[in-house]
Amino acid sequence: MTLTLAGVGYRYAGASRPSLLDVDLELPDGTVVGLVGPSEAGKTTLCLVASGLAPRTVGGQIRGRILLDGEDVDAWPMHRLSARIGIGFENPATQLSQVAGTVFEEVAFGPMNLGVSRDEVVERTWEAMATMRIVDLAERDPARLSGGQQQLVAMAGLLAMRPAHLVLDEPTAQLDPAGTRLVGEAIARLAAGGASILVAEQKTDLLAEVADRVVVISDGRILFAGPADETLADPRLVEAGVAEPAPVRLRRAAEAGGVDPARLVVPVDA
Amino acid sequence: MAGRVRLNDPHPARGLPDFLGRPGPTAVHRLNPLTKATLATVTAVAAVALGGLVGPILLVSVAVLVPAAVAHVLVRLLRTALLLALPIAVSAFLVNLFFFPGAERILLRLGPITASAEGLEFALQILVRILAISGAVTLFYLTTRPADLVVDLERRGISPRAAFVANASVQTVPAMVDRAAQITAAQRARGLDTEGSLWRRIRGILPIVGPVILGSIAEVEERTMALEARGFTRPGRRTLLWAPADAGIERLARWAMVAALVALIVSRVAGIWT
Amino acid sequence: MVIRWIAALVAFIVVILIGIVSIGNFGTGIDPDSFFDTEGANSFALIGAIALVIGFIVYAGVEYAQTGGLGSIARQFDTRTIVLMPIAVAINIILGATVANALKIPIYLDSIGTILVGVLAGPVAGALTGFLSNILWTYVIPPPFQNGPAAAFAIVAVVIGVLAGLAGRAGWMRPRPNRSLGQLGIGAVLTVGVIVAMSWLAYLGWTSPAFGGEVNFDVAGSDAIFNVLGWLVLVLVAGTILGLLALLFVRRDLTAAYVVVAGLGTGIVAALISAPISANVFSGVTGGGTDFLVAALRQAGADIGAATLGQGLISDPIDKITTFFVVYLILAGMAARTKARFPQGDRLIEEGGMADLEEGEWRGASA
Repeated sequence: MTLTLAGVGYRYAGASRPSLLDVDLELPDGTVVGLVGPSEAGKTTLCLVASGLAPRTVGGQIRGRILLDGEDVDAWPMHRLSARIGIGFENPATQLSQVAGTVFEEVAFGPMNLGVSRDEVVERTWEAMATMRIVDLAERDPARLSGGQQQLVAMAGLLAMRPAHLVLDEPTAQLDPAGTRLVGEAIARLAAGGASILVAEQKTDLLAEVADRVVVISDGRILFAGPADETLADPRLVEAGVAEPAPVRLRRAAEAGGVDPARLVVPVDA
Repeated sequence: MAGRVRLNDPHPARGLPDFLGRPGPTAVHRLNPLTKATLATVTAVAAVALGGLVGPILLVSVAVLVPAAVAHVLVRLLRTALLLALPIAVSAFLVNLFFFPGAERILLRLGPITASAEGLEFALQILVRILAISGAVTLFYLTTRPADLVVDLERRGISPRAAFVANASVQTVPAMVDRAAQITAAQRARGLDTEGSLWRRIRGILPIVGPVILGSIAEVEERTMALEARGFTRPGRRTLLWAPADAGIERLARWAMVAALVALIVSRVAGIWT
Repeated sequence: MVIRWIAALVAFIVVILIGIVSIGNFGTGIDPDSFFDTEGANSFALIGAIALVIGFIVYAGVEYAQTGGLGSIARQFDTRTIVLMPIAVAINIILGATVANALKIPIYLDSIGTILVGVLAGPVAGALTGFLSNILWTYVIPPPFQNGPAAAFAIVAVVIGVLAGLAGRAGWMRPRPNRSLGQLGIGAVLTVGVIVAMSWLAYLGWTSPAFGGEVNFDVAGSDAIFNVLGWLVLVLVAGTILGLLALLFVRRDLTAAYVVVAGLGTGIVAALISAPISANVFSGVTGGGTDFLVAALRQAGADIGAATLGQGLISDPIDKITTFFVVYLILAGMAARTKARFPQGDRLIEEGGMADLEEGEWRGASA
């Protein structure tokens, strides 16, 4: 299933100018698309629009079309869309449902809401927890986990819905280095397994590892896009206000310093 | 599997984990939560409706102390119920003992206030009533997990959203208190004064109120989005993982208790029985 | 549709009639044998409240029988409201428990959450928040926050929620800043008058002989959290008086008058409904600072019924005015965009505060 945004614009309720304009984006099966841009560029807004939360849950107005495999989803209610597109957020704690005493119940929350059979709920829950490698956390209280672990639980909760696409809005932004590593590895595993993910990130190193394509957004519009390694090495990236991945920065520094990057001990191929 | 995010970690087939819906340690714990809630409510209301001393004391023995003993929580119950009732009991006792208007039989005179025998009788009645209510409610609280009661109600038909509110409320109270305590500690470490002069204490309150109350309300938007992203808006029932068992005899007992209570109230209001 | 309302109205009237008939004439007096306030003169408000609840249940029952669902009520409960309610319940319980268990002053401060939800989401949502708060407070919340008597007053909380919802729906909590002095005129006089009257009553009540003649600033109780929260409560009450005056004269916000009227009205109704419950079930003693006030009134010769009513009429208006003011402050701290998404949010935003035009290809949510 391909998720397509065509000519999409979005304006928050009561805002004088739109937060997104003329956005064209495609997320085919099995692709990981990275979304980068400076703060307030519209990354979060784009994630909300792609998942359907904007305008359904957060209000505001939209223009353009959003299609799932060519079908316009404008009239789809949020619960129907949530079974096709899962969205994860920055703050791990506010994604917890607060009604689950154990991680198992937390992950099962989504499928329970969908009304599938009980056996189906149980099977999906174990499967999602296995993918995120949190089976041994099954009995733990989600409120007492670390930020990174909570983020994994949140993602497992999304996977249990069996969505066609995952949208992740800066999943490591509020995590410490250990948590960032945990979540980064999980995303890499999902990507290697053929998942379709749209991930907004400031940490371009993570995207360098997992993304197939990278889209650069600024001031509500898409500046440029392309294959990941090309886009991340593009000099316009820094101009747009985005920090380039470490290998790219090293190579540039080496070249600027007159050192042949091929002779550096640390490999600098992104 | 086209059309969904592929999960390729193999896993052994598992069923419902055994830590869900674990039955309680004693027969009382294993009673259906609705039965226990009915018992607590009927006992509390009956204690008020019975009046006098003998009635409530008998009621408490049968409906509170015996089950508590069976559930091995008698000691805890006595301690908790007394603790719960203590502030009210002391106030009630003193207020009624000393401030009973129109008293004839004076027991004690302490300056301008007098203790009377009528006051004493009344005070004892109120005391017994308060202890009965406190005991009934504590028995429920000690033998029932609130989440179990909510699951049972949801199985019987209350809306999943109502169940959500009930469950989340129970979890939010300790969570908010923890947060307030954390923020207090953090602010204290930054030099916030919670002792000291009146003005300092007042000034010290605000850095705690802001994060706790306003912060919780600010989170509403994020939490709303997270819930809707998990299919929360789907109308109708949702799948429940488990529900507490209910026996026919318990259903009978519940109806019997309610019927007895109604009979009691009607007979008292109609003056048939004092 | 009409059938539901008629059925509810009939049920309401029937319950009122039953109540009046069984309570008898409207004298007041304590039966010397059973100590029951059998003539309950001040029970008419309680009867009204019970009738209201039963009328609502009948309405819901008929709607369920007709349509197999509860659509008109469910519409008030969107996800946002559902998420807010537990937070509101927690605020009610935590602050209320602080006042009841640790601070011995005659107010309650257990309705901030109820009124907040009522104003934002509507009467039914507010009513349910109040109901749930009181029930959980007695049955489920562990000590030190647990409060035994709370469940008996659940019906009072229901009515408070309804009144707050109606006040919100009527636009009473909409900010009205920068009014000219002429427009402020009556509103200012009313507000200042009520504040002065309340402060004087508070002073009278709170410094009654039972207290030892001075306002008690010390916070009893061993839990450190109560120490902090106790001071918060005092700040809130004193702050309300100052805040209302500031709203009126600095921001020239006419809503200060509406806040005072809403608080006064809700307080009086709450006192009328809770007095017979307090008198008959608990003989006027519920463990908080209000008990001393009841004692003082009884010493002055009043019976339980009159004493609890008198205490209620002093404590409740102060409590509810403070609560409505705090809710107004909380609303002021929320962005317009956040409030707008609540069912009654559009009535809480200043006139012309949000421009939202559907023009050309821009469209709002259709699902």
